[in-house]
Amino acid sequence: MIKVSNLSKSFAVYHKEPGLMGSLRGLFIRKSSIKYALHDVSLEVHPGEILGLIGANGAGKTTLVKILSGIMHPTSGEVSILGFKPWERSNQYRRQMSLIMGQKSQVWWDLPALDSFLLLKEIYQIDDETYQFNIDYLSKTLGIADHLKTQVRKLSLGERMKVELMAALLHNPKVIFLDEPTIGLDITSQKAVREFLKDYQRKYNPIMILTSHYMEDIKELCSRINIIRKGEMIYDGPLSHIQKLTGDTKHLKVTTKDGELEFTIPRENLAIKTKEIFESHEVIDLNIQDPSIEDIIDQILKHGLQKQ
Amino acid sequence: MRYLTLYKYFLRFSFTKAMEFRLDFFFRIVMDIIYYAVNILFFHVIYLHTPMLAGWTQDQMIIFIAGYLLCDALNMTIFSNNVWWLPQFINRGDLDYYLIRPVSPLFFLSLREFAANSFVNLFVAIGFFIYALTQYQTPFEWYQLTFYLLMLFNGVLLQFCIQLLFVLPTFWIQSQRGLLDFFYAISFAGERPDRIYKGIVRILFTYVVPLSLIASYPARLFMDPFDSWTLIQFIGITIVFWGIVLTIWKKGLRSYSSASS
Repeated sequence: MIKVSNLSKSFAVYHKEPGLMGSLRGLFIRKSSIKYALHDVSLEVHPGEILGLIGANGAGKTTLVKILSGIMHPTSGEVSILGFKPWERSNQYRRQMSLIMGQKSQVWWDLPALDSFLLLKEIYQIDDETYQFNIDYLSKTLGIADHLKTQVRKLSLGERMKVELMAALLHNPKVIFLDEPTIGLDITSQKAVREFLKDYQRKYNPIMILTSHYMEDIKELCSRINIIRKGEMIYDGPLSHIQKLTGDTKHLKVTTKDGELEFTIPRENLAIKTKEIFESHEVIDLNIQDPSIEDIIDQILKHGLQKQ
Repeated sequence: MRYLTLYKYFLRFSFTKAMEFRLDFFFRIVMDIIYYAVNILFFHVIYLHTPMLAGWTQDQMIIFIAGYLLCDALNMTIFSNNVWWLPQFINRGDLDYYLIRPVSPLFFLSLREFAANSFVNLFVAIGFFIYALTQYQTPFEWYQLTFYLLMLFNGVLLQFCIQLLFVLPTFWIQSQRGLLDFFYAISFAGERPDRIYKGIVRILFTYVVPLSLIASYPARLFMDPFDSWTLIQFIGITIVFWGIVLTIWKKGLRSYSSASS
């Protein structure tokens, strides 16, 4: 289980004035200020649960994942994962943990994937039987059995991501961090990766934390989400409850003679607003919808959690 | 034992990769042979003017140079490529995947890439070493030679340590190469026998940046009457410097900021 309490990470940020003179001045005098990448974050994740981390670029998702995987030290706060402090980087912890970053590769590019896997087998001291079983299971479920002997750099982005997933799961990790595992993939590959993760989850019941900018990933995989905004955790709960957070609103799409109009309004104003629209425009078509999850998340990421 | 198996993989990977860039092979060989020739000629010219330098005759000096070149070739093949990339790994946040493995990241990062390109030069260096031994006029025993080689290997480790000390500041200063350029600028200090240095400079290159020890102390232990103080200093300084490297490495990882996407 993962338990995070009051975790903070701050950086000193140096300011440089623009231009050459600014750079020269920066050589001698540097103004700095403290920026929080994470501020007082607490959360818990239990085995068998996939927690979705949502946040804009730079909100602190990746920083959190990197602290939990032991890559970075926090400025303050406590973390306990399976009883270990991640940044102490004990071999026992690292053997049970895995990290997949959509943006960084962990296999040797110039070699066939199978070579990298053999190295990982040695690193994690996986016995022959488990190794063979996992290679068979993973390559079959991911559908890349034919590509394991091809140099990784000759694979397509989707195939490469599947290879990365294989590499990360060979040692049966109990804790898995997925940082944007579907980034840049086409719809088919995204879907395949999602299906695979679901299957894997059911089969092995690991603790997983997933960050993604694709709402589909979150909807399909995560039982619970955390929203991070400017380093702070502003929502912790199921995705389905999120609609209530922003208040009960409706989305109006109006097609008039002059073009399309869109409004998002509180439900109680619906009648008045529609009347207004009909009085002031020549309406061809009117469409009333609940706001999509994407829209709500977008609102929350932009403006925080105040009620509309 | 497990680390040996891992190293076997590093070797295999490096050779597979090197085969794809064959042109590099030839450039490296030509460059290194020129470098060797310049070194040998330099001392040859000096011995036209004096029969003794730093307490050594010309045949002794050739033993020293051969030792130094062997150190250099070993360092080039085993460590050099890895040290070269390390600052960029630190800057670009590429340490991430090395830090999460249940293996010492420093081991991984310093030995990951075996310079298969320079491998041939190792043979050139060994060839020159054998030549140096055949023209050496004092008779010696096999165990003395073995000891010399062991000491040279210690020299390689010391050289690697010093080089790392110039790389590790990258954790704190934003720099493309760390202070590697500075290291290359002063690394000539090890190419000359330590006894040519006097006073402050000697202390500097013995205790502060112990470059002059790398090949000089093994050569002294091989050719001069045995002196235990030389041996103790040589091993001791290497251990102390390893300690310093490990301490700074740990401190560095604490402030590693893992630049990200």
